[in-house]
Amino acid sequence: MSLRSGWLKSPWRRTAGRSHDPYWDFFINTPPADRANSVLDVIRKAPEGNVFPTKADLHTPEITANHVKEMARYLGADLVGIAKLDADDAGHPFAIICAVRADNDPREAPGIGGQVPVQNGLFVTFVLSAWIRELGYRASMAASLDAARLAVAAKLGSLDRTGKLVTTEYGTRVHVADVIRTDLPLVPA
Amino acid sequence: MAVTPGTETPPPPYLGRSVRVVGPVANVDMNETPHPRNSRGELGKAMFNWYRNTISRDPLTRVSAPNHFADQRNFLASVVNQAPKGKVNSRQVAVSDPAAMTRHIKAVARHMGADVVTVARAHPSFLYAATAPPKDSAARDVYQNRSGDVYQGRTPEQMTQRYPYIVVATTAWDYDKLQAHRHYIGDAAYHVSQMKAQMILKALEGYIKELGYAALRGMSNPQAAGLASGVGELGRNGLLIHRKFGARIHMPDPIMTDLPLVPDQPVDNGVEDFCKVCRKCAINCPTNSVPFGDKVVFNGVEKYKINWLTCYKIRPYMDAHWGSCLTCATVCPFTKPNIWWRSLTVWALSTCPIPARPVLVRALKAIDDRFWGATKQTRVRWLGYDSGIKPGEQACTVAGCTAAHGTAHATDPVGNLGYYAPLKENTNRFVKRDV
Repeated sequence: MSLRSGWLKSPWRRTAGRSHDPYWDFFINTPPADRANSVLDVIRKAPEGNVFPTKADLHTPEITANHVKEMARYLGADLVGIAKLDADDAGHPFAIICAVRADNDPREAPGIGGQVPVQNGLFVTFVLSAWIRELGYRASMAASLDAARLAVAAKLGSLDRTGKLVTTEYGTRVHVADVIRTDLPLVPA
Repeated sequence: MAVTPGTETPPPPYLGRSVRVVGPVANVDMNETPHPRNSRGELGKAMFNWYRNTISRDPLTRVSAPNHFADQRNFLASVVNQAPKGKVNSRQVAVSDPAAMTRHIKAVARHMGADVVTVARAHPSFLYAATAPPKDSAARDVYQNRSGDVYQGRTPEQMTQRYPYIVVATTAWDYDKLQAHRHYIGDAAYHVSQMKAQMILKALEGYIKELGYAALRGMSNPQAAGLASGVGELGRNGLLIHRKFGARIHMPDPIMTDLPLVPDQPVDNGVEDFCKVCRKCAINCPTNSVPFGDKVVFNGVEKYKINWLTCYKIRPYMDAHWGSCLTCATVCPFTKPNIWWRSLTVWALSTCPIPARPVLVRALKAIDDRFWGATKQTRVRWLGYDSGIKPGEQACTVAGCTAAHGTAHATDPVGNLGYYAPLKENTNRFVKRDV
């Protein structure tokens, strides 16, 4: 429509401008020519830091679980859950699952813009796992685990028939970040 | 156009009302700024040891502060900034309309999580001098992003002609946690958002290279580019004061580029008029580093100049209590939650005719002192932290905690006042006010 009055435009359509943006498709869908121009590999391949030799003075597992969730939300996670790991090769008892809202599904949008949810998820999981290591407990980002299945175990949502996570808050427009395995005393879900 | 391109000196830049370029500006050598000087040991042993050889007691500081980590691999900003630089894409995206590209770059930065993004026209006086960063990685500041010889024998004038724009993108930190300034809670708000800004800028730098244009880091003074592009105005406390966030925005290393863009203009938010009257930051500064007096001319720039050395030198002594002071940012009347009444106030101030502003500012200052206090001692609780507990005391004030850990459980947490060390009267003994 030719009606372009700023007052009458619906105020809740935040992405309205993007349909007029001739470069937005490049941002979302064109994979980077040089992988070093994306921060994903840099963060994923970074070696894991040491566990701090002195264990921090912790509160009860319920409170620690709340603090971990609060920290994850502060770092930018939209959904956080804790699941119990039954058979973990390194003997970690718990998994922390963080999910961020995703405007585009990162599996279908290989551009730097399409991978922004992955970038945000890596920010959360990197800093959160580093913080747990500095508390004196083991924590590592495990890309190998089935994040969506563990997210269901952590009561973040359910799986649809294609194996994608569906949540109450964001539907399927959600990206589950790398799972953090840890031996920090927590309470599942 | 008789002069060969790149040799004429452009007229001094307009940086808004708060800062005026009055004389020739010498390009600042990045290696002579406070942190690099300290990492070479030029500020004394206590400072050097604090900067290079101290591990923080606080776990969150160890993962988010630029030094004081136990293991640098646990600190995201060093991982991101020390990664190798990507190559510029050889298939350049054609830009027919710079205005559309400017909107696009701003949308991209916001999509990645930046709170503030502006474009400045580059000026030779904004650039750092053409010196190489130190080779020794331990002596190199984590936030120094320049790689090798980016100048390649060009003068600053030639650099600004070849790369005419500077993209300033940054994040703001959390208002509620900032209330615990001079405490680990305030540090967390400050350092975590700074890490986020570092990651966003690295990603944005990579994206501009993917578009097929150069993206240089470590080139421009962020405050100068921020002033020229209207991020805010420079306050008495030496911080850029933004229209929405006040002083609680970071100024990380901006991106210099040859991507065709449309630069923004300096803004007038009334900071200039407010700082003439207010002096809240100067009164509250624990080291008397913020000036009470008028602007001074330093390196050809007329501005309020803080005493960075006294501001810096208190830090090793307060290491057990906090990492970043943030008091001048917290008490600034412009630092308020970003909601309608503050937008209304800033709008009223910035639309008021300039001669009438001192009256309005006095009224606003009185309101601010009445409702937010002449000083800030709010008690903040976050995770297990509590700014009401003195650093020497060990107490657990988490509700419902029954764990038998080393600290005593405080059954009735007293009062709503936070504890803020050191108190001003304590420092008045050894650092004199300038007026």
